[in-house]
Amino acid sequence: MAMIAKVMRILRRDSLVASRDSMLIIILAMPVLMAVGIQLFAPGIADSVVRIGLLDDDPADHAAFVAEYARVERFGSVAELERRIAKRDEIAGMVRSGDGYEIVVQGDEGPDLLNYAKLLNALYELGGSRDDSTASVLSFGKAVSPIKAKLANMLILMMVMLSGMTISLGIVEEKSDDTISAVNVSPVSQNAFIVGKSLLGGLSTLASIVIALLILGYSGVNWPMIILVGLTSMVLTFIVGFLQGLSSTDVIEAATGVKMTMLPIAGSIAGYELLSDKWQWTMYWSPFYWAYKANDLILTERADWPTVLLCAAMVSGISLAIYLVAIPRIREGLS
Amino acid sequence: MVSVRNLSHSYGNDGRLAVDDVSFDIGKGETFGFLGPSGAGKSTTQGVLTGLLRLQKGEVTVAGYDLRTVRKERFNKIGVSFEQANVYSKLTALENLRFYADLFDAPTRDPHELLELVGLAGRENDRAGSFSKGMKHRLAFARSMLNYPELWFLDEPTTGLDPAIAAVIKGVIKAEQAKGTTTFLTTHNMYIADELCDRVAFIVDGSIKLVDTPRNLKQRYGKKLVEVEYLRDDGSIAKETLRTVDEGDRERLAGIVRSRDIVTMHSKEATLEEIFIQITGRGLD
Ligand SMILES: Nc1ncnc2c1ncn2[C@@H]1O[C@H](COP(=O)(O)OP(=O)(O)OP(=O)(O)O)[C@@H](O)[C@H]1O
Ligand SMILES: [Mg+2]
Repeated sequence: MAMIAKVMRILRRDSLVASRDSMLIIILAMPVLMAVGIQLFAPGIADSVVRIGLLDDDPADHAAFVAEYARVERFGSVAELERRIAKRDEIAGMVRSGDGYEIVVQGDEGPDLLNYAKLLNALYELGGSRDDSTASVLSFGKAVSPIKAKLANMLILMMVMLSGMTISLGIVEEKSDDTISAVNVSPVSQNAFIVGKSLLGGLSTLASIVIALLILGYSGVNWPMIILVGLTSMVLTFIVGFLQGLSSTDVIEAATGVKMTMLPIAGSIAGYELLSDKWQWTMYWSPFYWAYKANDLILTERADWPTVLLCAAMVSGISLAIYLVAIPRIREGLS
Repeated sequence: MVSVRNLSHSYGNDGRLAVDDVSFDIGKGETFGFLGPSGAGKSTTQGVLTGLLRLQKGEVTVAGYDLRTVRKERFNKIGVSFEQANVYSKLTALENLRFYADLFDAPTRDPHELLELVGLAGRENDRAGSFSKGMKHRLAFARSMLNYPELWFLDEPTTGLDPAIAAVIKGVIKAEQAKGTTTFLTTHNMYIADELCDRVAFIVDGSIKLVDTPRNLKQRYGKKLVEVEYLRDDGSIAKETLRTVDEGDRERLAGIVRSRDIVTMHSKEATLEEIFIQITGRGLD
């Protein structure tokens, strides 16, 4: 009980200093601003990227239905539509023929687009809608814009990295004022100190992840999953934050050091996105790979608990291993 | 209150001992001084006793706690003032004390009263970062008294302070002594040791050469100095201080008395510093 009060006291002290420290405020506000930026300046990626061409005389209910799932472009004639389809980017046409619709494609489109158009057509004929459709219908995947999900995911990992920087800055402050020795001769255990010093970075990062996702329109996302993955992936940056804070003498050095975690993060994202399934295993060592993968599934609404738990377990397991290696150095540095 | 047996401490692996087989006891209510030149091992000893440095060798009991088992709760009874003032620059004087006060599980003193005591009244709401070195030192000193410590560690409490402020700090220490606070004080200032300490340990190169009360030391060694002024052949006045316990000095004194015109001659009470030099063969700075 007393320990919790002391942990909270350390958090309160850190928050007070943070409110005076413009550097920290910038660190915390940056991701939120970036979320606003993504939302404002890239409205296109917020929409579905699947493009469907319809004729001007397409029935209103059908057009409205398609528009719910795809970016719709209208054309005056079949010839005009075909000219558009012949252009380099991917667009499928839907033209009425008899009772149903004919799907018009150029032929070099990816199979996804064709399947998507077919499914959309089938769904329409079945009288389905997004609201009463089952998960299997939604899970054909493109209901949530994949590019936006990727940007949001990168933003989350960036915020996770910044939480490490926040911690690092807090430790640098204690070091440059040499106040750790004063805390060490107070009845505060080293564990309470470590937890207390992690709280500001941890809580503010969780808060900015939530705010950023709300700004980006993910209010319906599975929050428990997001928070679980967020928390577990922060553990590693905390360790990096402590180590970097302890080995740096000033703010700039600490920030530079934590930024180095950007490398494995970027590598993990690239690996997940670019490597074929056959080579994905080469990224299994990276906790950020698992975090990115979990977030990707969660943000595109394809996640299930077993998979998320596996990813979270991998993140924590790898972080724990690193923690066990690093903790003697952290403890030594703090005393 | 404190019991130290055969304490040694080394910073590196080179076998050089910063503290070398030191033993002493501090009784309840006593002020025990570590007097020695720079690098003697005073701060190192305080570091081990306060748990900031790991106990490597020896047996140490502090405020009833054996240092081999680490119990953080003991700091509810202990106050520590450091050689280098260490306070949060981004917090005000008051915030510094309030934060630290909240870390104790024991009653704490009113921060305002403490700031007043060390002459920082009126500066409560200024950031410690804007303080001079002496002001920071006083703030850290005030912090060390927050928890009504039964055992108080003071590393060079007045070093670097101007005389007026040093006098204030000495006054505060004396007031605490009167309340029965046990104090471990390190200094290389013999006046401080003389004025504030019940007993003094002379420490040089990591070892204690002698422990006694300042009064005993002065009685034992004090009257044994003779200061003599005499005329040289060229008419100028020469001045020598000679120890009556030293065979060579006695011969020399006899020679001067026999063959010179004495201007003045009197026995003199030695200062702790002179005694320190007699015993350790080293000066204090
Ligand atoms: N952190 C350290 N690392 C390595 N050696 C150290 C360290 N601190 C002190 N020493 C060495 O240990 C010896 C004792 O130092 P200590 O600080 O205890 O002396 P002191 O008596 O407090 O001196 P001062 O009056 O200058 O404060 C010195 O030789 C010093 O060089
Ligand atoms: Mg010292």
